[in-house]
Amino acid sequence: MPALPLDEAGKYVAGAYVVFLVLIVVYVAIMAAKVQRIERELRELAAFAEARAVSDQAAPGRESEEPSISDSLAPHGSRGGGV
Amino acid sequence: MTSFGPGLRALSIATVAALAVSLSLVFFYAPLDADQGFIQKIFYLHVPLSIVALVGFVLGGVFAVLHLRSDEARWDAHSYVSIHISVIFGVAVLITGSIWAKASWGHWWVWDEPTLVSFLIVFLMYATYYPFRYAIEDRTRQARYASVFAIVAGAFVPLNFLAVRMAQTLVHPRVFATADGGLPGSMMLTFLVSLLAVGLLWVTLVRFELTAKSASGQLKRLRRALDAPARGDAPRIAPEVS
Amino acid sequence: MTPSRLAFAAILGKDLRTELRTLQSLPAMALFAVTTFVIFRFGLDRTSLSGSLGAGVLWATLLFAAILGINRLFVAERADGGFDAIRLAPIDRTALFAAKAVALLAYLLALELVVVPVFAIFFLDSAAALPPLAAVLLLADLGLAATGTLISSMAVNSRARDLLVPLVLLPLAVPLSIAATGALEPLLAVGGPGYHRFGTWLAVLGLYDLVFLLVGYAVFDFLLED
Repeated sequence: MPALPLDEAGKYVAGAYVVFLVLIVVYVAIMAAKVQRIERELRELAAFAEARAVSDQAAPGRESEEPSISDSLAPHGSRGGGV
Repeated sequence: MTSFGPGLRALSIATVAALAVSLSLVFFYAPLDADQGFIQKIFYLHVPLSIVALVGFVLGGVFAVLHLRSDEARWDAHSYVSIHISVIFGVAVLITGSIWAKASWGHWWVWDEPTLVSFLIVFLMYATYYPFRYAIEDRTRQARYASVFAIVAGAFVPLNFLAVRMAQTLVHPRVFATADGGLPGSMMLTFLVSLLAVGLLWVTLVRFELTAKSASGQLKRLRRALDAPARGDAPRIAPEVS
Repeated sequence: MTPSRLAFAAILGKDLRTELRTLQSLPAMALFAVTTFVIFRFGLDRTSLSGSLGAGVLWATLLFAAILGINRLFVAERADGGFDAIRLAPIDRTALFAAKAVALLAYLLALELVVVPVFAIFFLDSAAALPPLAAVLLLADLGLAATGTLISSMAVNSRARDLLVPLVLLPLAVPLSIAATGALEPLLAVGGPGYHRFGTWLAVLGLYDLVFLLVGYAVFDFLLED
């Protein structure tokens, strides 16, 4: 295999290393997008949790119980206890 | 549940350092090859990438075995990410291999380099991993079938290399050599450092990916615990870790 | 007979009897293969084939025809609840794998029984190569049966059923194809069958068969879990 002169060979070697670099940078960009999405979701959830905490404080003991619990535990006329 | 984040910064720094040292060695220390001249320098990138990618594919199979035996989702995540990053490295292998072929023989592809051809076939095999996973709807089944795929493909890799090598009647010697033949110490050192650097890069990227997955999984958990409305953009393939 | 062996025999018998009675897959596979030969005749503009060209045309055609049959291997199991039956039965589940692989092998051999003589009549000058050719195809079919059964059993439970088998099986079959055509090429040489590296290629085929039969055996249990 003939050895190409330096100026020609240099282009190919540079090309190979540039491809490598580009792939890494593309990967970093994709990861950055993922991290941004995670941050956005986290912010949404934090806001949601705060809003819920506020509404819980505003009406304690009323809406804070799970409706399902009160349904199954509280005795109802025709249901629960009997046959 | 294991956390993937700790140690990630140290790992990334080590990777960058290793890559920097490797690049310096390649361009300032390693001697020029007798036959190929400057072109040979591509090998310090191309060959480590291919070795690491292949090890990554085999690791994907190993994690798959662990997943089938323990039925823990995190091994499926390890398997998926190992294969995913190795496929990306595989793209780099094929492109750098093609550039080398063009520089050495004037064609963008040559069929008489058995290692490059074998790698193409392995790449094609693992590229089917994504549509395969995507086609299976049930998540647990998807994970199990994916593990089976990873094991079958892992067994396939050495067989494939054997068959392709045997199909070549004339194997072009790929030599790392100076005029007096054999691999001089300086080239070997450069090669080993490059191999280490690329290997560290692979581990870092896998860790990165696993951390991101784990974070998304935790978010889902949080979302469920808070009874918040679900988002509809969950990925249909790729395992969830939490 | 152990329950597993009984199950194996029952499943195999059911498959072969169904195919014999309904003739769903085999005639279609054979017709496909023969028509493909005609397409090759015109596509390559040749009336006789030898050496690597002959080996390639024969093997590629057989492979693609096989995929047609492999697609349908587990369809009945999925439709009629055969998978559940195996899961519930107190037997070694690999009996299903073994039975299906042997059934697929039988289909492939039956296919070749028709297609290879047609190939010889269309393109070959003499039938001298046919006996060693049959040996090569037998070994290759074993490998195809193992991998085909494995992939088909997964594909049948997926969305893109008929797409998945060709997609995944073809790259998987590359080493098999290399070895099969490697052995067939000198057999179909113009001067008469040659045996250049015949033993080595058969050894590679045997290795492929062994590896994937073992892998299939080890892994099949996990495929049936639910």
